[in-house]
Amino acid sequence: MVIALTGLGLVVFVVFHMLGNLQLFEGPLALNRYAAVLRDMPILLWAVRIGLLSMAVFHIGLALQLSMQNRRARPLEYTIHRYRKASIASRTMAISGMALLLFVAFHLLHLTAGVIDPGFADRRDPEGNRDVYTKVVHAFQNPFVVILYLVGQLGLGLHLRHAIASSVQTMGFEHAGLNRLLKALGPVIGLIVVLGNVAIILAVFLGIVH
Amino acid sequence: MTFTLKIWRQNGPHERGRFVTYEAYDVSPGMSFLEMLDGINQRLIGTGEEPVAFEQDCREGICGSCSLVINGIPHGPDQGITTCQLYMRRFSDGASITIEPWRANAFPILKDLVVDRSALDRIMQAGGYISVNTGGAVDGNVLLIGKDQAETAMDAASCIGCGACVAACKNASAMLFVAAKVSHLATLPQGRPERARRVSAMLKAMDQEGFGSCGNQYECEAVCPKGISARFIANLNREYLRAGIVESGCPSEPESPHAESA
Amino acid sequence: MMKLDAKIPSGPLESKWDRHRFSERLVSPNNKRKLTVIVVGTGLAGASAASTLGQLGYHVECFCFHDSPRRAHSIAAQGGINAAKNYQDDGDSVGRLFYDTIKGGDFRSREANVYRLAQVSTQIIDQCVALGIPFAREYGGQLANRSFGGVQVSRTFYCRGQTGQQLLLGAYSALCWQIERGQVTMHPRTELLDLILVDGHARGIVARDLVTGRISAHMANAVVLATGGYSNVYYLSTNASGCNVTATYRAWKHGAAFANPCFTQIHPTAIPPGDAHQAKLTLMSESLRNDGRLWVPKVPSDQRSPGDIPPIERDYFLERRYPRFGNLAPRDIASRAVKVVCDEGYGVGPGGQGVYLDFSDVIDQQGLEVVRERYGNLFDMYHRITGEDAYQVPMRIYPAPHYTMGGLWVDYNLMSTIPGLFVIGEANFADHGANRLGASSLMQGLADGYFILPYTIGHYLATATLPPIPDDHAEAREAIQRVTMRINRLLTVKGRRTAAMFHRELGTLLWNHCGMSRNEGGLASALRSIPKLREEFWHDVMVPGSGSAFNQELEYAGRVADYLEFAELLCHDALHRLESCGAHFREEYQTEDGEPRRDDAHFAYVAAWEYRDRAVPVLHKEPLTFEFVPPTRRSYQ
Repeated sequence: MVIALTGLGLVVFVVFHMLGNLQLFEGPLALNRYAAVLRDMPILLWAVRIGLLSMAVFHIGLALQLSMQNRRARPLEYTIHRYRKASIASRTMAISGMALLLFVAFHLLHLTAGVIDPGFADRRDPEGNRDVYTKVVHAFQNPFVVILYLVGQLGLGLHLRHAIASSVQTMGFEHAGLNRLLKALGPVIGLIVVLGNVAIILAVFLGIVH
Repeated sequence: MTFTLKIWRQNGPHERGRFVTYEAYDVSPGMSFLEMLDGINQRLIGTGEEPVAFEQDCREGICGSCSLVINGIPHGPDQGITTCQLYMRRFSDGASITIEPWRANAFPILKDLVVDRSALDRIMQAGGYISVNTGGAVDGNVLLIGKDQAETAMDAASCIGCGACVAACKNASAMLFVAAKVSHLATLPQGRPERARRVSAMLKAMDQEGFGSCGNQYECEAVCPKGISARFIANLNREYLRAGIVESGCPSEPESPHAESA
Repeated sequence: MMKLDAKIPSGPLESKWDRHRFSERLVSPNNKRKLTVIVVGTGLAGASAASTLGQLGYHVECFCFHDSPRRAHSIAAQGGINAAKNYQDDGDSVGRLFYDTIKGGDFRSREANVYRLAQVSTQIIDQCVALGIPFAREYGGQLANRSFGGVQVSRTFYCRGQTGQQLLLGAYSALCWQIERGQVTMHPRTELLDLILVDGHARGIVARDLVTGRISAHMANAVVLATGGYSNVYYLSTNASGCNVTATYRAWKHGAAFANPCFTQIHPTAIPPGDAHQAKLTLMSESLRNDGRLWVPKVPSDQRSPGDIPPIERDYFLERRYPRFGNLAPRDIASRAVKVVCDEGYGVGPGGQGVYLDFSDVIDQQGLEVVRERYGNLFDMYHRITGEDAYQVPMRIYPAPHYTMGGLWVDYNLMSTIPGLFVIGEANFADHGANRLGASSLMQGLADGYFILPYTIGHYLATATLPPIPDDHAEAREAIQRVTMRINRLLTVKGRRTAAMFHRELGTLLWNHCGMSRNEGGLASALRSIPKLREEFWHDVMVPGSGSAFNQELEYAGRVADYLEFAELLCHDALHRLESCGAHFREEYQTEDGEPRRDDAHFAYVAAWEYRDRAVPVLHKEPLTFEFVPPTRRSYQ
């Protein structure tokens, strides 16, 4: 239940993060202004950051605890085990979650804290805002970074594909007429988020945005 | 027809098990899977060897005794049936078939393919009933129960307690089993007075027995010989949430390691 | 010397049970706590009795050989449960249910018992609803009914095709509650192997833990057997493979009379046996006869496929012999008719054991969809087992042993001739006479367990003098000794044949000579063959493994050993009953057109057999008097 709730909280963040980032397509000034607006509200920003962090900690911590418990529930595995129904996404939640965690860590160090690529930390755009735009464009011109981010998006997509419908089931939402809609929620939201993010990455890499 | 069988043999709960290969000859397509095993056992007994222990009783798919994971799928390759309803014509001649017991911490192996499923009974004893004394019941028609409601309750109540859901679940969770009973009784007005206590007690018992948690993969639904829907698991989660609210008297999040794992 | 006193209360039929209950002594609540009752078996009768006794305050020790009480074979009953509710307002009443049951049993059951059964039938439905059993409902929310074989009213309550399952799970849930409360101690995977008598009273049992092999004595103030029927003596039957006669047979050897063992019901519509490896016969619901027509080719051993045989060359034998009831003739009549045509060489399928059950006419008249809707699941089941599509070719069916009306003799209080030994459900002989009607076994099991035994056992416990006895009482030690020796004997034969081989041979023998129709010569020859087979068994059976571990073959061999003795009793009873009634058909006693001839002047009694060591069992007769329903000839022509 807690995993489902925290997971859904993180999903909401991921959706807004993607929507915000899409402002890249409106040009450097718009994106930088958006970034500045966020930074101008330090209390809110840190509240959200702490909220996200604690959600992530709970989400991951409980998931680890549960998977250990689940492992204990079947000490000896089957020699042959064939799945009938379980989707690839549902079977790889641990792997995709792990990949996602590594990716988020890299992403934070890379673009938020600027540790990996410190060259752009202090650049300012003509309006005096921090030049997030150039930093992003610079980052995604590097093919290695692009590949890393695409893999990260794959992990995110897989994770979301199962996560959303699963959370809905865990919270007990179930309705004969709405079941198909609820089941579709995961893949659709996951796909939108991934497509949005991938659009940004590829747009820069292919030189559509520069 | 002939088959090569890889069968799990294990002498007792604490012994080490291993696969032993047997050949099945003279199998006719009209033989049931269990009759094919009977044939192997008759041969083994004839030579003074101990036969392969496996459970079965009614042989018509209702008692829930038979089990067996056949080529990686509980109750074998067909859907909606138990092992005893599986016939050899379903396999191609000369095929190799691997037979394993249900594997779960909560189902210790007693011998060969026989596991101890009494954990399911203990879950039922924790709350899978309506506390009503014999005698003094009101007339059956005093309680009007809509046809749809009765049918939904019946869908849930058809569970035969075989444990295939546990066997198929990657977490060896008994959620579908518990969900079936909880949903059956919570759907009917007779079961309502105890619904909060029932769902909490049964889930607690399930935890204590060492079953895993639900990952919402629905493998349980796919192997259930009675086609019990995983929708009832959502219903169980809802009942649990509701019980948490009712029991604490205020809206709060109940803690359960089992109702989750998205 | 054994004396049969049925203890039937006097007075008008309608008030016998009420007055009897009032005159019974009660046990006070404090005293109930000190009393222990053993219940063996957890089918409908056993589970309902154990839970009700627990709820009343007795301490109950409950035993079953399955891994869980929920697996007893009551679970397989499909059709439904009768009750004289008259919800349909179609003229049903307690009196009519009573009459139908007496007549259906071909006037070989006790009026007082059957009337009581009909009376409590209505309470059963109420109780089951309260337990949360999801009976079928009408759109308006009321309980739905369907009609069932041999009666003219709709009084059968049902849960799809799984009524037995739902009723059993209801009783099981009530049992779970009492286990949770600590009133019932459940012993699953534990099999009764002997009875312990102290001073002539049933005071305990010897049971084997099937996992560890440990043999132990369990003592109590009374013992209840709810251990089901013995159809599996025929090897192939519709019963579950674990069903056995051991408990009732052991009780018989201790002095409980065994009543009417030859009344064994053969169900007409089962899937015919395929090959020699077959372990079980699968029942196809009787409802199929509502629309299907039974026929065989008019030429013996006709090898043509059924579609190639024109209607003029088909013999619709039930319609020919019983024009009034046609394909809906009662179970015993239909089964026998099938056997007759097969014996004459008209049978179809492997070994000529089978007749066609043809749906082509109804498919032509009402369309495939109607048939699919009504019987789709049955057709699927048939397809799975035989690989044939019954929408295209007719089904093949053949009768199969299904239920046993005979059982341990009990009085009106359901107590056997051993004081303190009560017998309920299919294990007793009580209510069905010589033939059981559909949907009445569930009714009887639950009536005994929920509503009758809990009253009558109280009177026994309140009146009998039962001093406390320790678990290591001399009788208990001796019984454990007996059981241990027998197990060792089974394990040390180390012969060449498996228990199943003997069982199959015995089954074939009984099916041929003491099956659907019997005659003096056949029964006499069976009585000569059975002791020989038993002798061979004890010299040539192979039981591998040890007695002190999980050993399924040992369990099975023990049951087969009991069948090999019990079969003789069955044949003795069939041989002595010189009449044809209900399921018992003696070829010597039939009318010119092959109908059974009952002999009320000489055989209107319950045949209760007493065990004699190494001698022919002794017959005792409980005369049956019919004050309220004068016997008439059962004609379906």
